[in-house]
Amino acid sequence: MFGYLQVDKAELKVREYEAYKSVYCGLCRQMGRDYSFLSRLALSYDCTYYAMLLLSLTRGCSGFDDGRCRFNPFKSCKFARCEGDCYSKAAALSVISVYYKIQDDIRDGSFFKRFSVRLIQPFFSHWRKKAARRYPQIDEIVAEMLRAQFAVEEETDPCTDAAAHPTAQMLAKVFAADAGDETDKRVFYEFGYHLGRWVYLIDAADDYLKDKKRNSFNPFFGVEKEELFSYMEGILNQSLARAFDAYCLMDIKDFKGILDNMILLGFPLKQNSVLSRLREEMNEQSV
Amino acid sequence: MNNPYEVLGVSPSATDEEIKKAYRNLAKKYHPDNYADSPLADVAEQKMKEVNEAYDEINRMRQKGKGTGSTSGSGSYSGGYSGGYSKFNSVRIYIQRNMINEAEQVLESTEAAERNAEWYFLKGMCAYRRGWSDQARQFFQTAHNMDPGNAEYQTAVNNMNNQRTYNYGGYNTGGESDFGGMGCSCCDICATMMCINCLCNCCRG
Repeated sequence: MFGYLQVDKAELKVREYEAYKSVYCGLCRQMGRDYSFLSRLALSYDCTYYAMLLLSLTRGCSGFDDGRCRFNPFKSCKFARCEGDCYSKAAALSVISVYYKIQDDIRDGSFFKRFSVRLIQPFFSHWRKKAARRYPQIDEIVAEMLRAQFAVEEETDPCTDAAAHPTAQMLAKVFAADAGDETDKRVFYEFGYHLGRWVYLIDAADDYLKDKKRNSFNPFFGVEKEELFSYMEGILNQSLARAFDAYCLMDIKDFKGILDNMILLGFPLKQNSVLSRLREEMNEQSV
Repeated sequence: MNNPYEVLGVSPSATDEEIKKAYRNLAKKYHPDNYADSPLADVAEQKMKEVNEAYDEINRMRQKGKGTGSTSGSGSYSGGYSGGYSKFNSVRIYIQRNMINEAEQVLESTEAAERNAEWYFLKGMCAYRRGWSDQARQFFQTAHNMDPGNAEYQTAVNNMNNQRTYNYGGYNTGGESDFGGMGCSCCDICATMMCINCLCNCCRG
């Protein structure tokens, strides 16, 4: 369930896009430093969003460095400098969540997928141990999410809300851990909850046909085909709307243009593209 | 109090017009209507209060004489709920205090025969507070179907429908230099309806 928290590039200012890229590159570099060269493959847009949010809330970005991309030495790129541990935290979240994603794939992936993730599992289990030593709380939260997710999928016919709850709660707890006072905690929790819910549901919508083919769990299977799209759209919109309400109460400092762009334009854009692709594929099938 | 200019996000050299605009944008953003039933209603209310105070303070400092800052919204909102006759009084109080587990316990122990429209409405409130928006919608809808005349249930259903058809700025970005107005870009008719409903109904769990 990665890569849904993106920007709407067309609506960003050029300098904002550069800043966004430089946070991405900065986080990538940090993963190389904290774990290893290969761990950078675990980098996702979602964790970049988390890093960006932390940088914004803590005023953690102190400038930009010029450098070169490690994967493509011919490409020069900028790195956003980070004071404090915003990057480290986001890097830890990346490797920890990929590790648990691998556990999930081993449990119910296809044969080929199980085979391939078993190959990379040892690396991630090593990095995850390292990350968990430094941020035991994050590890605990993500582990709890997976346990709860398995439990929900065992239930007969869980409602959509219940199915989305583990992921929503995970992000809620991760975000709330970074809040200062009690009020902030509640706001961050609410924001994380609905954002996590959205991520889970958009991922479920994205995997709808795949899950159907493989007979695995999907929270949308209980919905009638005729109203499937209006149902998906409604529930996704509502999650974003509630996340946005909480977002408005957060004290966003730096990168406001980028973060506003994401929640108001980038995520809805992603939602539209996922849903319209699904609609197309389903039309093709029914023809 | 914090620097009132900082609260409004304007520089001290801003013109009166700019300050007014900044104030309006913030007041719109934190408007109680956006947070009806939300577990964060009190946080938004607090922010609204700060914005109002800052605006008043600036007006006073600039010696404009009358501080026209305070909107009616924040004042009337804090009143909370006023009905005293409901069977589910305790549930409403629990919900207001964000004690959702206790509220649900009382609801669950209610006998099937006594589960009226209000019971479904309050179940919906609990679900909504937990973030289970889809269940909340179903409960609110049931409450509304059982008692179509009740403004409180109607408001809740409208609120759900607003969020579900939430239209971000994504498709009508033209013109606006910032995202200020986008939070409220969902259909204005519904918003107006909600305002009317809110006036008729000061009960809020």
